[in-house]
Amino acid sequence: MPKPAAETITFTLDGLEVDSPAGLMLADAAKLGDVEIPVFCYEPKLGQPVGACRMCLVEIEGIPKLQTACSTPVRDGMVVLTQTDRVKEAQEAILEFLLINHPLDCPVCDKGGECPLQDITMGWGGGRSRFIEPKRHFVKPLALSPLIAIDRERCILCYRCVRFSQEISEDYQLVLQERGAHSYVSTFDGHPYVAPFSGNIIELCPVGALTSQAYRFRARPWDVEGSGSVCTLCPAQCNVEFTVRDERVMRVLARDHAGVDDGWLCDKGRFAYQSVHVDSRVTHPLLRVDGELVPVSWDRALDEAAAGLRSAGADTGAIAGGESTNEEGFLLAHLMRGGLSSSHLDSRTGGTLSRDLHAALHAPQRQACVEDLEFAHALLVLDCEPVDDAPVLDLRIRKGIRRNAVKLAVATSRPSSLDPNAAAVARFAPGAGEAFCAALNAALGGEDTVVDELAAAAGADPAEVQALAAVLTDAGEDVVIVYGERLTHGPRGEHAARALLNVAGRVITAGHDGCGLLELPAGANGRGLREVGVLPNAGPGLTPVTSPGLDSGGIAAAAASNQIEALYLLHVDPLRDMPNRRLWKKALARATMVIAHAAFLTDGLWEHANVVFPAESYAEKEGTVTHPDGRVQRLRPAISRPDAVRGEWQVLADLCKRLDHDPGVLTGPMTSATLFAAIPFLAGLTLDEIGGRGVRWPERPQAAAWPQADGGPFGLEAPPFAPTPNGDLRLGTFRSIWAAPEVELSPALKFLRAHQRAELCPADAQRLGVAHGDQVTVSSNGSQVNAIASLRASVPGGTVFLESGLEQDSASELDAGLVEITRA
Amino acid sequence: MLIVQRPSPPGAAGGTYRAFGETLRGMKTTLARVIEGPKTISYPEEKVPVYPRFRGRHKLHRFEDSGLEKCVGCSLCAAACPADCIRVVAAENTPENRVSAGERYAAVYEINLARCIFCGYCEVACPFDAITMGQDYEMSDYNRSDLIFTKEMLLDEPLERTPLRNDGE
Ligand code: SF4
Ligand code: SF4
Ligand code: SF4
Ligand code: SF4
Ligand code: FES
Repeated sequence: MPKPAAETITFTLDGLEVDSPAGLMLADAAKLGDVEIPVFCYEPKLGQPVGACRMCLVEIEGIPKLQTACSTPVRDGMVVLTQTDRVKEAQEAILEFLLINHPLDCPVCDKGGECPLQDITMGWGGGRSRFIEPKRHFVKPLALSPLIAIDRERCILCYRCVRFSQEISEDYQLVLQERGAHSYVSTFDGHPYVAPFSGNIIELCPVGALTSQAYRFRARPWDVEGSGSVCTLCPAQCNVEFTVRDERVMRVLARDHAGVDDGWLCDKGRFAYQSVHVDSRVTHPLLRVDGELVPVSWDRALDEAAAGLRSAGADTGAIAGGESTNEEGFLLAHLMRGGLSSSHLDSRTGGTLSRDLHAALHAPQRQACVEDLEFAHALLVLDCEPVDDAPVLDLRIRKGIRRNAVKLAVATSRPSSLDPNAAAVARFAPGAGEAFCAALNAALGGEDTVVDELAAAAGADPAEVQALAAVLTDAGEDVVIVYGERLTHGPRGEHAARALLNVAGRVITAGHDGCGLLELPAGANGRGLREVGVLPNAGPGLTPVTSPGLDSGGIAAAAASNQIEALYLLHVDPLRDMPNRRLWKKALARATMVIAHAAFLTDGLWEHANVVFPAESYAEKEGTVTHPDGRVQRLRPAISRPDAVRGEWQVLADLCKRLDHDPGVLTGPMTSATLFAAIPFLAGLTLDEIGGRGVRWPERPQAAAWPQADGGPFGLEAPPFAPTPNGDLRLGTFRSIWAAPEVELSPALKFLRAHQRAELCPADAQRLGVAHGDQVTVSSNGSQVNAIASLRASVPGGTVFLESGLEQDSASELDAGLVEITRA
Repeated sequence: MLIVQRPSPPGAAGGTYRAFGETLRGMKTTLARVIEGPKTISYPEEKVPVYPRFRGRHKLHRFEDSGLEKCVGCSLCAAACPADCIRVVAAENTPENRVSAGERYAAVYEINLARCIFCGYCEVACPFDAITMGQDYEMSDYNRSDLIFTKEMLLDEPLERTPLRNDGE
């Protein structure tokens, strides 16, 4: 459903004429006339109002009884009174009712000072209590989950948390039990409420009933300062506000931005801030001396790094990890291409795409934005799992389906959590995205004869492909395709990209608002890094380079065979973040100089890094990142850097200077300005323009400077057949939201730390003699990982899914293709 | 032309009075005090008693029966303090480590007495009467940082160094 245009109406509010968009609820419309109507249960983010608390009663002329402003849409000519005696009496009465059972806990209550119940009682309450009887009692506080404490005495039964669980995150865990004054919020059988978005209910609760275990008693609102920035733990790049006390981040709150996060955060974003202040953080430059990493001065570390780089010269390879900012990526490219004349740098993990394909896939006229997910006619989720790849977008997709009847089509290898909401679901073999896109393209083009063959190559069911195509063609003209970067990974990534562009050509009208492609990159700032030139085959702004270098896989292979001497690892531990762990182990061991920017010494760096520069945390960083939909967002330092940590743009600039290639930047903002000036489609952008809300560059006139490229249709080669599971199983990999060092290091999130599970279907398990929960060994080509068997009926037969990004037993130990499973 | 009219010059007696009259009046007051004897107090050997509501250095209190701290670390005193000189960091009571009667307690409670203006707002703000203003005004020290009083110092029985003024004194 396309975004509806709102018409304006006029109504009378306490004797004044107020203009408001039609259909707005009175509680919101009153704000336009500078009148505040107190509310507890009303929260527009939660969808339809429920009218549970009755706090918002107002008088409407012509209606004898008082009405709830939160659930009465404003109409033209309506006469609303909010300050009459009847309304006041009602408000006082409601507050008196709410406080009958409310404990006098304010001094010990975490909500004190930012509590709507306190504020509304002060503003609208009678100021006197007549209730002397004993109050209702519950055991308190209890752990609703390891992250959330619940105090049931304080609950005013507003339903917000329950509605969030039922209608927003759709995990259906929270319910209200019992009746009347005995009602309480709980999961149905009392199990802990663990879900990827559970932390949002802390922020939703209008009282101190739900509080964060991690923030409990840490500070009062007057002890802290809020500092707006952006979460860079995943590509969703939610806007956040860090609560800072004494130069420490105390909690993370959502900073509502309809174009990015819709006011929600995932639990990783909400709690992983704890990793900023752990003892194991690297806070001094480290140098390997006699096999040990020891703290050294900045000058020494920079000199050693510069010497190593100079001697390696063009035989240097660099990888930028997803959380690097645009500025850091830009300076890294400057260092590599300028200072070292090496083009071996990459920010993608799975092979090269040509410049033209990059340009075509991300062309402004084919770019969907986050809001389009909500208002599309049809949405195709292709080879990605939003809840793992960009969690907060999962909520956006669910919202579109629930409220705007978006038709969802899911085409993935691994069963998706969005399957139950989908109008059509198709499964294909892991890594067979190319064949699947080709099949879908054929189905959309009505070439039914080839669909069967292509679907067979993809390991998919032709009927499912047809059904999927029907959803995409029948729903309407606004079609959005959300695809994972992994679709274009691998040696045949370019073919997959072309097949995808063919599909897009059939369902998307280029240049039409409301439809388009949206990539979920593998790294948080994946898109930005490519656009600033961290690619082997393109410079800043996707400009052509004379001699393309090696991509990440090529760098690893070259280092493993001693052709590359120095490795520059910007926020990346290849053993963690890259496929093919065995090759990388060899590469790291063989490289003579490994320079890393890291906040934590993960395995690969601990063993192999020669110089480690302490990395800033995302709460300390200054710079910009680019959202998958092209929104350039600004990171602002919320806290000062600990110990000897320096701004990383400065470290990179210092290295450039030592290699006689001074980028001429003296401050962070200067780096941003240099970057914007160097990239034609960002020309004229300023940090002020980006501000706190970001700027979508595809919407700026300068977007015309984006390189033109052929967007298809392309002639496609016949894709290779997905391997047939001949007793062995096809290996599919995924990286869960919890597979990150930040999660492992945050005390609050430790319990969620990912462990390797082998997901397979019960039929395969039975054949292999494996039961749910068994310890199994998954092996291929001489390497193996240990996992716990996890039986899922929805996993397609012949396939096993393993997680990558883990510290131990990561799927990246294994080669893609077929694997053997045995009981350990 | 402007003609200035002057009074006639004073005579001898009048002139003398003009020169010394005010001085003599002052001398009269001075001489009258001489017979009253000295009023100086030899502080610190002697101290001026203070009124019962005199606002001196703060005290934190415990419950007499249980010995638990009355302060729950709610930070309301810190919010009320116009000099911004109170710092509270709260923590949670556990069955093994119960410090206060409520769910939370003050893990850190500091008042920077170098900044305090002894207004008493903290005392008024406290919902548990955990902090009150004492009578002690002798707080000088050699170091600024020694004027930051910690929770332990504030909980300790203060040395009663300041005499209290009795009723009607
Ligand atoms: S929820 Fe609000 S009103 Fe209730 S005890 Fe907490 S701070 Fe006080
Ligand atoms: S726990 Fe909070 S959000 Fe949930 S119903 Fe009670 S008051 Fe509302
Ligand atoms: S969805 Fe991503 S960007 Fe948003 S809070 Fe979670 S980790 Fe951060
Ligand atoms: S007496 Fe006044 S200035 Fe001193 S600590 Fe209390 S509130 Fe602050
Ligand atoms: S806000 Fe209207 S009934 Fe709760």
